[in-house]
Amino acid sequence: MALLDIRDLDLSIARGSELLPVVQGVSLTVEEDESLGIVGESGCGKSLTALAIMGLLEGSAVRIAGGSMHFQGQDLLALSPGERRRMMGDQMAMIFQEPMTSLNPVYRVGDQIMEAIIQHRGMSRKRARERALDLLDLVRIPDPIRRIDSFPHQMSGGQRQRVMIAMALACDPKLLIADEPTTALDVTVQKDVLELMLGLQRRTGMSIVLISHDLGVIAETCDKVAVMYRGRIVEQASTSELLSNMSHPYTLGLLGSIPALDHDVEWLDAIPGRVPTLDEVVPGCAFHPRCFAAEGSCRTVDPVAAAISPAHFVRCHFPQGSTT
Amino acid sequence: MNVLLSIAPIFRGRGLATVGMCWLLVVGIAAIGAPLLAPFDPLEFDPFIRLSEPGWPHLFGTDHFGRDSLSRAIYGARMAILIGSGSVLIALVAGGLIGMLSAYFVRLGHLLMRIVDVLMAFPALLLALVLMTLLERSVLNTVIVIGIVYATTTARIVFGMTLKLKRDVFVDAAICSGAGNTSILFRHILPNLMSPMLVQASFIFAFAQLQAAALDFLGLGLPPEVPSWGNMLSEERVYVTRAPWLLIFPGALIILSVFSMNLVGDALRDNIDPRFKDDIAGV
Repeated sequence: MALLDIRDLDLSIARGSELLPVVQGVSLTVEEDESLGIVGESGCGKSLTALAIMGLLEGSAVRIAGGSMHFQGQDLLALSPGERRRMMGDQMAMIFQEPMTSLNPVYRVGDQIMEAIIQHRGMSRKRARERALDLLDLVRIPDPIRRIDSFPHQMSGGQRQRVMIAMALACDPKLLIADEPTTALDVTVQKDVLELMLGLQRRTGMSIVLISHDLGVIAETCDKVAVMYRGRIVEQASTSELLSNMSHPYTLGLLGSIPALDHDVEWLDAIPGRVPTLDEVVPGCAFHPRCFAAEGSCRTVDPVAAAISPAHFVRCHFPQGSTT
Repeated sequence: MNVLLSIAPIFRGRGLATVGMCWLLVVGIAAIGAPLLAPFDPLEFDPFIRLSEPGWPHLFGTDHFGRDSLSRAIYGARMAILIGSGSVLIALVAGGLIGMLSAYFVRLGHLLMRIVDVLMAFPALLLALVLMTLLERSVLNTVIVIGIVYATTTARIVFGMTLKLKRDVFVDAAICSGAGNTSILFRHILPNLMSPMLVQASFIFAFAQLQAAALDFLGLGLPPEVPSWGNMLSEERVYVTRAPWLLIFPGALIILSVFSMNLVGDALRDNIDPRFKDDIAGV
């Protein structure tokens, strides 16, 4: 049984009386001790999918229009608020994109880490504080005994993101969702934070869902990859399979837009155009206006996901296959 | 002492606000030590010396019952502080709760905030007058009515800030670590509202003085025998040509106190930046 099993998830945003689909038919599985990367441009539904898993869409304009989500065999959509609260922070946790605003500015960081420990583990304040010190040490915050009483604004972005990771790991969750955890950080700090997360994953055996717009980051860190475009998964495979046999033109485009570090590139191959807005109706394949391989049928017929090899799915009429 | 030290930097480089704070301290001391400081009993009649001019031993003169004006003014400080802090307490607790709950629970908010809107459609003094006519004249009722009047503005302010705060990422992060509604509202959102609410408190304190004085003057506030600055104005207004000092002193006290409170409020408002707040907390 998969740790997290999402089937045909549909999310819609209510605008006036109409519902605009923002995520369509997303199916994902995450096994225990596995990391899944979700990659795509801004506005392709990556973060919304994460928010849906964590149950954070309540009170927003986005609603779950269809599909199912199971975590450890439990139906997430059928949980009562109380059951959901007991699960959050204990068995699943999330790290957010903005380290500058994801810590409460009026509390010392130690208190914020201790909160979940006290709530879920029923520890005394003293023991929770010891645990918080261990966690700060684990995420390699220098001098934890002094930093545990700092306020968030007294820390740098990288340190705050480490504190966020410590908070998320406080109760040894089974699943950690990281929504662009390194986007707001310097490149060097990015690398540190990613390595830290990976190391922790290997040590604790938790599963990670890493969301990023950077295919490079995902390729380096994740066991398998799902590429999303405009609310749909367009290609899904294990990382090694994807890298050796990249098939969707969009995935190739994402790869082409990563600057190489070992030699100078005059001009990056950016994907032309932009992601169509939600209310734009694109007949056929949603990617065809930007696709270099688009032909007649792409403009009229929406492709279905097809396996080009076991556990490698592509939603494209003309998968590029090993021609790259 | 620690409290005094921690607010000291707020007044750094603000001469006027410092003077205001000092004046408020004087009022506070007068209120606390009224029985010791007042030279006479503020309620004692002496018909033989009615409407005497300021001089020895009646420094502020005497009113038309022959009561010592200075003693009444000193006891009036008590009423000023009582009414100010009482209305601030009611306004912040009621207004804060209404604002927070309305912003957090959207449906409840539709109901509560419409009631607040209706109450805010009345000018503050008119609303206070209407409510006072329904109630008996007493210190407690005056405090409650003024508290309700300013609870509406507080609710509006808190409502807006909570709407913004509940969308902040740290609230999502709190939900993700399993925090329930109560914990989010009172442990995560409320502390972030504290500094703006403190500023709001200082202004409510000042406006409550004016409001109470106006109610007293119109004969709808505190019972007439209670020595308050507003009552002094109200009772002696017919003697404004014969004994103007009976109005000048309490009037000046009201103006000075309200002005001081506003100055202090401004200084507080300019200092609600959390970074500065930490500096003064000695971190």
